[in-house]
Amino acid sequence: MRVFIENFCSKTSFLLAVSSIMKNLINFLIQYSVVFLFLFLEVISFTLIVKNQEYQKSVFLSSSNSMVSGMYEWSNSIVEFFKLRAANDNLSEENTALKNQIINLQNKLSTLKPETSDSVHFRVPPEMEYQFISAKVINSSTNKLQNYITLNKGAIDGIKADMGVISDEGVVGIVKIVSKKFSVVIPILNPKSDISCKFKRNNYSGGLIWSGEDYRYGNLTDIARHVELALGDTIITSGFTSSFPEGIPVGYIEDFKIKESDAYYKIKVKLAVNFRTLSHVKVINYLNFQEQKELEKKSEEQ
Amino acid sequence: MPTVLQNIFRFVLLVLFQVLVLNNIQFLGYINPYLYILFILALPVQMPRWFLLVLAFIIGLTIDIFSNTIGMHAFATVFVAFLRDGIIKLFTNIEEGNNPTPSFHTFGVSAYVKYIVVMVLIHHATLFILEAFSFAHFWLMLVKILISSLITIMLILGIQSIKTR
Repeated sequence: MRVFIENFCSKTSFLLAVSSIMKNLINFLIQYSVVFLFLFLEVISFTLIVKNQEYQKSVFLSSSNSMVSGMYEWSNSIVEFFKLRAANDNLSEENTALKNQIINLQNKLSTLKPETSDSVHFRVPPEMEYQFISAKVINSSTNKLQNYITLNKGAIDGIKADMGVISDEGVVGIVKIVSKKFSVVIPILNPKSDISCKFKRNNYSGGLIWSGEDYRYGNLTDIARHVELALGDTIITSGFTSSFPEGIPVGYIEDFKIKESDAYYKIKVKLAVNFRTLSHVKVINYLNFQEQKELEKKSEEQ
Repeated sequence: MPTVLQNIFRFVLLVLFQVLVLNNIQFLGYINPYLYILFILALPVQMPRWFLLVLAFIIGLTIDIFSNTIGMHAFATVFVAFLRDGIIKLFTNIEEGNNPTPSFHTFGVSAYVKYIVVMVLIHHATLFILEAFSFAHFWLMLVKILISSLITIMLILGIQSIKTR
């Protein structure tokens, strides 16, 4: 009997102790609930940031998102009105340039035309088979360290990731992700972009990287010190990546420096495109992309 | 419930103004004021802290969705909202039972200016450090923080001084 009572007492005291601990724990949780909520929310935000860095952008929750894009499109339709004049000027300039080109090409063609039409097999070189998809910029920034551009065309218009984007003036960037109706472009003004360029004059190539400071200038890297340079030299795309054909203007040499000890030039490039007034762009669809990629992959495997 | 309505209205107005107007201001390539933080700064002083944190998270995430910076604004606003009570207590002594909205009138001019300056600086610093995510662009980042904070502070003080008249 006595043993039983002792046993009972020790059990109850144990239960009491446990319940008091629980009480303290609950009190503690209530007292610091705000701190926990704070930490919880910060962890969520931080995970979002880190995830976002990894996958570039999740289509949902970015400005490819249809509601957000719809609103930007609406706001852009107003702002665009004020840019019409500049856009018109550009268009007419491009028109005249194109007309000149047509005349040139016609002249060339007429001189090259063989007397008998069946003897010559004439074909466009495969690396030149391109199509342009015109699109409009509906959101862009130039003042961040990592800038992005949103376009109003997406997968249903035939846009895919890794396609090049140009404007009438020159190279804009490369398509990163695509949703059904919208796509996000990584422009030159983003440290993640690295576009392969070369000099129009002598074909030496290097990579163009943005300095992060000014939306008008970029830096050209990997140009060795024996290369001859001059201020104002034109820099064009090299055509080594399948995103851009050869010969699209990227920028002009604004300034270059080299120290005695350096092997490479420091070249400051004035970008051909004015990213602040960008509104109409063309997305380049390289028709033989798949074939070229597969062939190159095969050669790597062997 | 006029304060609730007033704050909802302020939320919508500030988000739209931030997204459609201020995010397009790119003066000198450095300056991007973030005025929307005024929403957090102008909430009543005795607001439950958990609710303040949730509201901060919501407005941060809204701005994030519009400016393609998922998580950054949310992180900065929640951080600032967490520090808000401490900073208010540091600069003012509001009696128990009173529940004023922060302004020149209720805080007094010098306390209010200090409060705005400290909060905006903390917010902008958090935001720009997160944006850079490294110390590679340290001086550029510092200049951005200082200039953008200055503009935001001036905008907020300007708006508040017009309102109190």
